[in-house]
Amino acid sequence: MRRRRFLTAAPLLLPAWLARRAVADTPLAYPPVTPGYRIVLPGDHGAHPAFRIEWWYVTGALNAPRADVGFQLTFFRYRPGYAEQLRTPLAARQILFAHAALTWPGDRLQHSERSARANLGAHVSTSDCDVSIGSWRLWRESRESSEPHQAHHSPQRHGNSEYFRLRMQSQPFAFDFILKPTQAPMLQGEQGYSRKGAAPHQASYYLSWPQLQVTGTLIRHRQAQTVEGRAWFDHEWSTAMLADNAVGWDWLGINLDDGGALMAFRLRDSQGETVFADAAWRDASGRQQPFPAHQIRFTPLGHWRSPRSGAVYPVQLEIRLGDLILRTQPVLDDQELNTRRPTPVVYWEGLVHLVGSLRGRGYLELTGYTQRVPL
Amino acid sequence: MNTLAWWLISAQFHSRRTATWLSMLAIALGVALGYAIHLINQAALADFARAMHRVQGEPDAVLAARDSAGSVPLAIVNQLAADPTVALVAPVIETRVRVAESLPAVRLIGVDLFSAGGLMPKLLPRPAEGATIADWLTGGVYVSPTVLARSDLRVGAPITLRRGDRLWTTRIAGDLPAMANEDLLLVADIAWVQEHFGPSDAVSEARILLEPDSAPAEWRRHTAQRLPAGLLLREADDDSARVSNLSRAYRVNLNVLALVALLTSAFLVFATQLTAVAQRSTHFAVLGVIGLSPRRRLLQILLEGLAIGFPGALLGLLMGYALAVAFTQLLGGDLGGGFFSGGVPLIRPTLTATLAFCFLGALTSVAGAIYPAYLNRRQPLAQALKIGFSPTPTGEAAHDHRRLKRLAALSLSAVALSHAPPLFELPLAGYAAIAVLLLIGIDAAPLLTHRLFSAGASLPLPATQRIALQNVAQAPLMAQVAASGLIVSFALTASMVIMVSSFRVAVDHWLDEVLPAPIYLRSKGTPLPPEVLSALRQADAPFVKVEGTAHGTLTLDPRRPDVGLIVREIDRQHPAQRLPLTGRLATPPDDRLPVVWISEALQEIYGIHPGQLLRLPLLGRDVELFVGGVWRDYSRQFGALVISRDDYQRLGGEFQANDLALWPRAGQEASAMTWLTAHTDRHGLRVSTVGEIRDLSLAIFDKSFAVTYALEAAAMLIGLFGLAVTLATSVWLRSREWATLGALGFDRRMLSRAVMLEGALIAVIGLLIGLACGVAIGAVLTHVVNPQAFHWRMPLIVPWSRLLVGAVLTLAAALLASRHAARQATRLPLAQILASGQ
Repeated sequence: MRRRRFLTAAPLLLPAWLARRAVADTPLAYPPVTPGYRIVLPGDHGAHPAFRIEWWYVTGALNAPRADVGFQLTFFRYRPGYAEQLRTPLAARQILFAHAALTWPGDRLQHSERSARANLGAHVSTSDCDVSIGSWRLWRESRESSEPHQAHHSPQRHGNSEYFRLRMQSQPFAFDFILKPTQAPMLQGEQGYSRKGAAPHQASYYLSWPQLQVTGTLIRHRQAQTVEGRAWFDHEWSTAMLADNAVGWDWLGINLDDGGALMAFRLRDSQGETVFADAAWRDASGRQQPFPAHQIRFTPLGHWRSPRSGAVYPVQLEIRLGDLILRTQPVLDDQELNTRRPTPVVYWEGLVHLVGSLRGRGYLELTGYTQRVPL
Repeated sequence: MNTLAWWLISAQFHSRRTATWLSMLAIALGVALGYAIHLINQAALADFARAMHRVQGEPDAVLAARDSAGSVPLAIVNQLAADPTVALVAPVIETRVRVAESLPAVRLIGVDLFSAGGLMPKLLPRPAEGATIADWLTGGVYVSPTVLARSDLRVGAPITLRRGDRLWTTRIAGDLPAMANEDLLLVADIAWVQEHFGPSDAVSEARILLEPDSAPAEWRRHTAQRLPAGLLLREADDDSARVSNLSRAYRVNLNVLALVALLTSAFLVFATQLTAVAQRSTHFAVLGVIGLSPRRRLLQILLEGLAIGFPGALLGLLMGYALAVAFTQLLGGDLGGGFFSGGVPLIRPTLTATLAFCFLGALTSVAGAIYPAYLNRRQPLAQALKIGFSPTPTGEAAHDHRRLKRLAALSLSAVALSHAPPLFELPLAGYAAIAVLLLIGIDAAPLLTHRLFSAGASLPLPATQRIALQNVAQAPLMAQVAASGLIVSFALTASMVIMVSSFRVAVDHWLDEVLPAPIYLRSKGTPLPPEVLSALRQADAPFVKVEGTAHGTLTLDPRRPDVGLIVREIDRQHPAQRLPLTGRLATPPDDRLPVVWISEALQEIYGIHPGQLLRLPLLGRDVELFVGGVWRDYSRQFGALVISRDDYQRLGGEFQANDLALWPRAGQEASAMTWLTAHTDRHGLRVSTVGEIRDLSLAIFDKSFAVTYALEAAAMLIGLFGLAVTLATSVWLRSREWATLGALGFDRRMLSRAVMLEGALIAVIGLLIGLACGVAIGAVLTHVVNPQAFHWRMPLIVPWSRLLVGAVLTLAAALLASRHAARQATRLPLAQILASGQ
């Protein structure tokens, strides 16, 4: 579901006419997303450069230096289909961009972004998680021989001594975190094949890794502080994801207080009606429960109007998943993002508390409230 | 008292309207010239800096190869990008390509869209006009408005870019509206530029932005240590310094010339105010008797100097501004120095400079009034009341021997100054020597006048002539005043004529030496197409000999302009056959040691000498070279070095000729030209005969000195004003004398002739001394100022015939100026003067 941020952070790369033109110029066949693919780690932590888009997305909520500090850092990979025929080492076959934000209660949301072609001042590995743009980097480290293992959703505690490192710096803030797994990763949809629409090709490969233990350093206003908290890691890759009549989506990924995890999204049409929805809840014992689309209902309860963009966001949502009744409560109302490079795209993405049948903290994303997300 | 001061000033302005206006105008002219030169240079520099910022942004550091043939490996760019201190690395590939017959080779800049946005946004297409990323990444080219205006290329149309034998046909995806008029450039995606023109695995330059809290200087120092020898990590500010250094000597030179124009106007103020003091000696004596203190009398004259200088300076500022605007509109920002090309820079006066020039103008005028003010203070009141002005108050007779001592001391100091080394790389001592030489000329005037005309006055001559001679001989102060303006202006003009003609003769000879072949083929900045080269190698090519030259640059010091690196097909053993060597040849101790021959400028700027071993950052590494000799180069002011093709290739360099010198077979000159043109036409290359290149070079030379002629003309004009004003005063002062002569039977014609003869005699003195000073100053310009400022050395050649013509013309103009005074003499109411005589 990270298409949301993908579009938002890289809108310039994605206008539909561009895609059409690229196809017309060089009929490039991206591989389709099909059911039955077996995700194998750590290889599938790496990039899948043949597909059109891919992202590695980390969100988290801190407990120290103070509660309810939210952070997110996402790396995107995009294969525009241009310059495929060039032989030069600088050919822009793969483009990377990254987007980071920091939510500090009582303060404005801070954000920062970077972009690069993957072979110039940036790098992405195809064999393991390692993606960087300049000094921004997300990578996996493991102290033992990293034997390939099949990702699974077994309830056992995760016993490996592997961890992720997450590093970024910008003028308003910088961080350097270690993300240590406490559980096994969570495959969304059917063993990682996650549907996004009625057509079978409207799908992505989608792996989540909830409940990562966060330690490290956060620099804010030039002051370094030691941090502790919980993070959520998503890795998703796809070629085609968005149904024609969808204008945006509401998505959330929540680390539950009891050790469980919840992911839910819906795609909306221009009337605000649900086009497609999916959700999965893994409880503290490790049992993963999927919810079919007809059991999922998103209802706006409270809105926040952005004084800058004028957009009205349903920051307080009621989400019904079967019998579960859940509500979001944002840590800050104003967690609107305005990515500027190169054209402004505005959306809401921020830390929320989840209350109701399940309690926890995580990230909510609301897109397509100012204009249709141009995917 | 203030009322009195004001009343005196306005009375003075009323009664001596012409002289006051002329003085004011002269000050205005001096200020205007200086101010205009300053404004134009300032605007051109700012324009250049803006153009650079448009294309380069404002990075904290720039990484590039020292050798124009070198490049920055991609691995190093990626390594720098991962440095936590680095916020952004924007790599650039820049080259020159031909796109249209109507255009010279234009810059093609390959940029990375993703990094360029943060540093060089003006190089990117307009984001408002829809996302152009697809166009960009699929190889669209963006062109500056000037390229569109000067060719038949259109947005949306195909375009073919050529460099040597490389061709790239693509389409024009859009324009670059942020680029100003003078920018002739194309921008495209860095990968496409690399694909078609190289270098593979490297870029031309990486522009680096650091994180806001970092220490750039420290980072640069630390990072530079880890870089290979061929790369240079420089400050972006270095480029501004380099641009400024590029034209510094030229600017200083022009400003000094403008100052000389201002100086001559000080003499005019001197003449005017001295006259004013003389004419009003009776008024001041009366005022003195009723209580005006000597100090107030002094201040009054200084105040009048200010009253002339301040409005004059204001007028000069206006004129200067207008002149600068008109000049840039008509001719662009290049004052003839060739440092700034094309474009109309915007004239933006700064407060500091404006105030400074205003102050300078007022100060000059006050300085001119100092001696008259002193005389006014020292006037003996009683005597002044009785018989009027006394030019040498309190018996201050000119003591010849004291004057001689002073002249000797001045001459010694002039000699010493002309031998002093440059200060701040400018010939400041040389300029001081010129000022001292002018002082000597002025100081020598009364001496010479006295000696020459005292002797002449004793000759048996007709009355008119004798009276004129005696008048001049006996009033050396007036003669000095009248002559000093002429001395200064004629000395300046003569010296410039001498310097320019010496230079022109030297350039002429030099062109003979550096252009030995009858035909030249030149492709500015791009390598020659291999098909042309291979056609020349065929047996049917009508040439006996073809020699290639490749031009590159080398950065030796990031704050100085680049040095020319010239690779030539030249015989290592006999460089003198192709280079105008100026000294002895040094023989390398080892035959395998590569040899370079350095230009005089390189020798002087960097202190390199023949026979020395030199380490240079060549071909990406430190190379040891032997300095085989020094040659004369008038075209690269900042130094150049020549290396033979064989040595260059032995060092691993690739020889790609930009220029060819061709010797046609005997008797086939015309057909050779046709043959060559047929082969080169479609490549847009220029074939020139040696004659055309000579003519073009000399035309450029003449154009570059056009501004100095304007300054000379202004100075001459002011000098003649001075003569006219002083003569008129001298006539007025001696009105009783004329009246007496009239009563004794002198008719108007005789009176008029006496005055004109007086003027002519003074002019002759002024011209003679001016000429002598001019030759001396010309020698200083040629032997001190030119080598120190521009590293140009040349023999001194005095064009006597042209100087003589100039002197005769000036004399004629001086006679014309004396007619004005003579007419005044003939209009004097003689009877009335005699009747009212005390």
